[in-house]
Amino acid sequence: MSTPPNQQRREESAGLMEYSTESLVPFGPIHPALKEPEYFKLVLEGERIVKVIPRIGYVHRGLEKAAESRPWVQNMYMFERTCGICSFVHSLCYGQAVEELTLYQVPRRAKYIRTIIAEMERIHSHLLWVGLMGHWAGFDTLFMWVWNDREVVLDLVEAISGNRVHKSMNAFCGVRRDMPENMEDRIVERMKFLTDRARYYRDVIDTEETMLKRTENIGRVSADTAEKLCAVGPMARYVGLKRDVRLNDPYAAYDEVPLDVITTTQGDVHALLRLRLDELVASANMVTYAVKNLPDGPIRVKIPPIIPAGEHSSHCEAPRGEIFYFVKSSGGRTPERVKSRQPTMANLPTALELLKGQTLADIPVVLTAIDPCFGCMDRMSFYDTETNRSWTWSGEELRQYGINYYFPERSKKQHGLTKGDGPLTNRCLRDGF
Amino acid sequence: MSETLSQLGKYAEEAGTKVTSLRKNESTVEVSQDRLKAFLAHLVNDVHVRHLMTITGLDLGQTLAVIYNFSLERDTIHVRTLVPKAKPVAASICDIVPGAVLYEMELHDMFGIEFVGNPLKDQKLLPPEEWPADLPPPLLKTTKADQIRRRLGLEAAKP
Repeated sequence: MSTPPNQQRREESAGLMEYSTESLVPFGPIHPALKEPEYFKLVLEGERIVKVIPRIGYVHRGLEKAAESRPWVQNMYMFERTCGICSFVHSLCYGQAVEELTLYQVPRRAKYIRTIIAEMERIHSHLLWVGLMGHWAGFDTLFMWVWNDREVVLDLVEAISGNRVHKSMNAFCGVRRDMPENMEDRIVERMKFLTDRARYYRDVIDTEETMLKRTENIGRVSADTAEKLCAVGPMARYVGLKRDVRLNDPYAAYDEVPLDVITTTQGDVHALLRLRLDELVASANMVTYAVKNLPDGPIRVKIPPIIPAGEHSSHCEAPRGEIFYFVKSSGGRTPERVKSRQPTMANLPTALELLKGQTLADIPVVLTAIDPCFGCMDRMSFYDTETNRSWTWSGEELRQYGINYYFPERSKKQHGLTKGDGPLTNRCLRDGF
Repeated sequence: MSETLSQLGKYAEEAGTKVTSLRKNESTVEVSQDRLKAFLAHLVNDVHVRHLMTITGLDLGQTLAVIYNFSLERDTIHVRTLVPKAKPVAASICDIVPGAVLYEMELHDMFGIEFVGNPLKDQKLLPPEEWPADLPPPLLKTTKADQIRRRLGLEAAKP
């Protein structure tokens, strides 16, 4: 038997502590049920970040291994559970890869329904992200407004599929549920409402001092670097790369529905906010078009449970960027191999590049910018090369530090930290971190 | 055939292989280990296929296949190379495609393939801290899910 886990962790902590006389206490357990934990070791020079070492995999559940022992159909609903936000697009992408291995075609009506659900999912995911951005920047009013509006689209999704998040709408070569009757007017009206709200939020982020101060000129990366690091989705589009699978390799009904791919060259976190809100408007327009032009016909073709041998890959545009599935069949009831790659994995190298040179206070905003699900900030350890000290903060402490750094006049009572009263590490010492 | 693919065919011939079309917009090239990096350098710098979607590993019994999944607009290009299972060592492509760094780490954790030249190759990315050193990589066909569960002390989690 190898070293027991607890002892191994103690040894690792000891390695970090050799620079410091204070003890290092990892704050906060990891909550896989609520948040997606990632762990970054940040090397600081005073306030500036010089190096970032990622450690992910805290919620790695071995889905690829599990897929090899489950029937094809069961896997579709298992892969839907990869993400609790953009669940539909995972089953869509896996389904498309498998459909290519069979000789069956997806009915046109099913393609439209898939497009509608996928775009509604993008709307709710982007709204969720804008809200979180407000939260981490210290503008909780925005967070509450936006999440309230998110309920509008979640209600629509529930009315169509019966579920808010894990819709289980997909089946091989079709969808499981048809659009309810008399939904068209309701959907069109709600999309109009969301479009108006998105435009209003755009005005808010362009004029509100909190958001401007926290996001402008922060998180810059050149288009060349983003391309070399294989960034996907909004992280590629905000520096001007026209990378969008819906445009480049249309799937579902994207070759028929008018598509508006938004790119910007402003290249900072503020541009990402604008871009996602503009994409939201574009998605709402696509949903409206698809609902108004929904073709008649069957919604599903039944296929046998055994998939012919072969290999195929598929990629789709999830709200966070391109997702990729590779499927290999040996002609049996279970897959030989399924590979899935999520957009956060593809965007992580770019995020690490964005963090370099930023101040400690910008970490929450920059890390949220890649939309990695908010828990990523929990449990960070810091190492200051000037004073050879290391310490650990929870996400909430880091958020508070960021708010106090930019707005020292606010929330002094909540926390003892204020901007500019001596070196960072002294403050940490005084406040007992 | 698109311009990209015809250009690709030229470089594939140089590398002693050819482009096989799987279906519309999707093709595969099988390149030997020693010629892989030269071929990828042409692919990225001359054909401008710069977007590496991911790197897929496959267990084929005696060998492991490493598939580099590239995309350029409508085209998907899989560059495939074989690595012997007995000595799973491959050259890192991080100098050609810097975005490959995490994918190579993932493949190292899941299939035990060592990528010589990867700047972070000594770090773990995905497996838990208590992953036993003598347990074979999880995605090999010879490694069973029960075996992993038992060694990690997760029997209780099994229904």
